[in-house]
Amino acid sequence: MTQHISEVVFWCLAAGMLVVSVLLLRQRQMTTGLRKHNAALESSLRARDEEARHLVEIRLPAAADSGHQALPAPGLLDEQLTGTAYAWHLQKATELFAGAVDKAQARADQSAKAALKASMRALQGLAHEQQLAISGMQDRHDNPDVLRDLLEIDHANSQFGRRAQAIAVLCGSWPGRQRAASPLLDVVRGATSRIRDYRRVRVHTQVDIAVASRAVEPVVLAVAELLDNAARHSQPNTTVEVNLQPAHNGACVVIDDAGVGMDGQEVERAGRLLSGRRSVDVSRLADPPQFGFAVIGVLATRYGFSVSVDTRSPYGGVRAVLFLPSVLLTHVTDEGPGALPAVISHAAPLVGAASETIHNQAISPADLDPAAARPSPPRAPAGRTDNAGRTDNAGRTEHAGRTEHAAHDEAAEEPIVHGSTAGGLPKRRRRQPIRDRAATGATPAAPLPAAEEAPARSAEETARRMGAFARGTRSGRATAPNDEEGNSPA
Amino acid sequence: MTPPRRERGLVRPYVVTGGRAYPTRNIFDLVTLVIAQHDRPLSGLGPEPRRLMELCRGGALSVAEVAGHLGLPVSVTKVLLGDLVDSGHIVTRAPIPEAQLPESQLLQEVLDGLRARL
Repeated sequence: MTQHISEVVFWCLAAGMLVVSVLLLRQRQMTTGLRKHNAALESSLRARDEEARHLVEIRLPAAADSGHQALPAPGLLDEQLTGTAYAWHLQKATELFAGAVDKAQARADQSAKAALKASMRALQGLAHEQQLAISGMQDRHDNPDVLRDLLEIDHANSQFGRRAQAIAVLCGSWPGRQRAASPLLDVVRGATSRIRDYRRVRVHTQVDIAVASRAVEPVVLAVAELLDNAARHSQPNTTVEVNLQPAHNGACVVIDDAGVGMDGQEVERAGRLLSGRRSVDVSRLADPPQFGFAVIGVLATRYGFSVSVDTRSPYGGVRAVLFLPSVLLTHVTDEGPGALPAVISHAAPLVGAASETIHNQAISPADLDPAAARPSPPRAPAGRTDNAGRTDNAGRTEHAGRTEHAAHDEAAEEPIVHGSTAGGLPKRRRRQPIRDRAATGATPAAPLPAAEEAPARSAEETARRMGAFARGTRSGRATAPNDEEGNSPA
Repeated sequence: MTPPRRERGLVRPYVVTGGRAYPTRNIFDLVTLVIAQHDRPLSGLGPEPRRLMELCRGGALSVAEVAGHLGLPVSVTKVLLGDLVDSGHIVTRAPIPEAQLPESQLLQEVLDGLRARL
C-alpha cells in the first residue's frame, strides 16, 4: 500500500516536474523572444531619434541653404527606415520646410526688388532730367571753360544714370527710354558715353547696320556693361578694342580687352548669369554687388540677343561677343552725297541734314526708281491735269498744284528748260549742286544702281507727288457731282 | 516714312570730342563760313567730322548751321572744326556781307504777276 502511495506520488511529481519544465522552457522562450523584440524596438526607437536629430541638424539646414539650387539633398541616416511611413513623413516635413523657405525668400526678394526698382526709377528720372538740363546748358553756353565743366558733369551724370538703369533692369523694370533706330556705331559710342574710361575705347569698323528702335537702349546698356567690365579689369594704359562685324543672320559687337582675364570658375559663373535662365536674386550678388553680367543676362533673354565671354582675347584679356540677330537690326545706308537728294525728296524735302539715312530694308529699288513708281494711282489725275493746264492757257483761273504738275510733265521731257507759268512768271526749280557733283564724282556707298538714276528725277518726283496730294485734297473737298475735274472753281 | 532723326542724347559730346573742350584755334564765330577741301581723304576721321565734311561738300556753311545739322552744341562743333582746320580738311572764311535788298520795282512786278494769276 505504502509502495503504491509512493509510486503514485512519484508519478505525480514526475508529471508535475514535466509540466513545470515544459512551462519553464516555454517561459524562457517567450522571455527571449520578448527581449529580442524589445531590443529591436529600442534600437528602432533610437534610430528614429537619430533620424529626427539628423533631420534637424543636417537635412533642414541643407534645405534652407540650397534655396532654389538643385543640389542633391542629404538623405536618410539609417537605410533600414527607407520605405517606412516614418521616412515618408520626414521627407514630407523636409519638403514643406523647403517650400516655406522658398516662399519666404521669394517674398523677401520680391519686396527688395520692388523697393529697389521704385527708388532706381526715381533716380533714373532725375538723371535723365539732369541730362536734358546739361544738354541745354551745352547748347546755351559758348565758352570752352564752361563746356569743359559741363562735359565733366555730363560724363558723371551718364554713368550715374547707367547704374540706376542697370539696377532697375535687374529688378524687372524696362530700360526706360524710347529711341529712334540708330546706327550700330552710334549705339556702341552711346555705350562708350556711359562708362568711366571712355577715352580708352577704340571703335574700329564702320558698318552700315542700324539697331531697331526697340533694341537700342537695351543694347546700349548691355554694351556699356561689357565695356565697363573690360575697362575696369584692364590696366589704365591699355585700350579696349571694339569691332563691329556683320554676321550671317545678324551682327556682332566684339569687345577685346588686354586685362587680367577670367579663370574657369568665373567664366562658368558669368556664363550662368549671361544665359539669364534663372532669375537673379538681388540679395545674393556678391559684396560689393556685381550687377554687370546679371543685367546683361536679363536684357539678353528679354530682347533676344546673346552675349558670350568664354573666349580668350588675343590681347590677353577677355573677348566678349554680343550677337544681335537680324530681327533687332534694320539697314542704314551710309549714302554718298549723291544719293542724298533722292532720299530727302522721298522722305521730306526740308530735312536735309542727315547724310546717313536710315530706312527699313523694305525700301526696294522700285521705291527709289521713279520710273517704276510712275504707273501708280497718282497717274490717273495726271491726264486731267494736262487738260487743266491747257484750259489755263485759254485764260481760266488755275491752281498752283496743277501748274506744278504741268511743270512736271513738261520737265520730264525737257529736264533743263524749266519754262514759265501761264501767268508769265519764271518757274523756279530746286537747285541741285550736290547731285551734279555726285553724278560726276565717285559715289562709293551708292546702294543700288537704280539709286543713281533716282536723283535725276527726284525734284519732279517730289513736285508730282505734292501736286497729286494737293489735287487729291481738293477733289475730296469738291462737292459738285457733275464736275468732271472735281475741282473747278465754280 | 518719317525721316529718321539722329538721336541726340545717345552719343554724348565728350565722346565726340574725346573729352576736349577747347578748340585748337580761336577763329570761329557763329557766322564764320566753313568750306570743305575736297581733295583730302576722309579716312581716319571720326563719324562726326566725316558727316561735317559731307555737309560742307555742297558749299560754304556757317558754323551755326553746321552745329545745327550735326545736332551738336556750337562749342563742341568748334572743337571738331578746329581739328579739321588743323588737318587741312576745311578752310574758313569771314562771313559774306549782307546782300543788297532787291529793288522795290522788282518786288512790285512779282506782286503784280502773282495777283494776275490768282
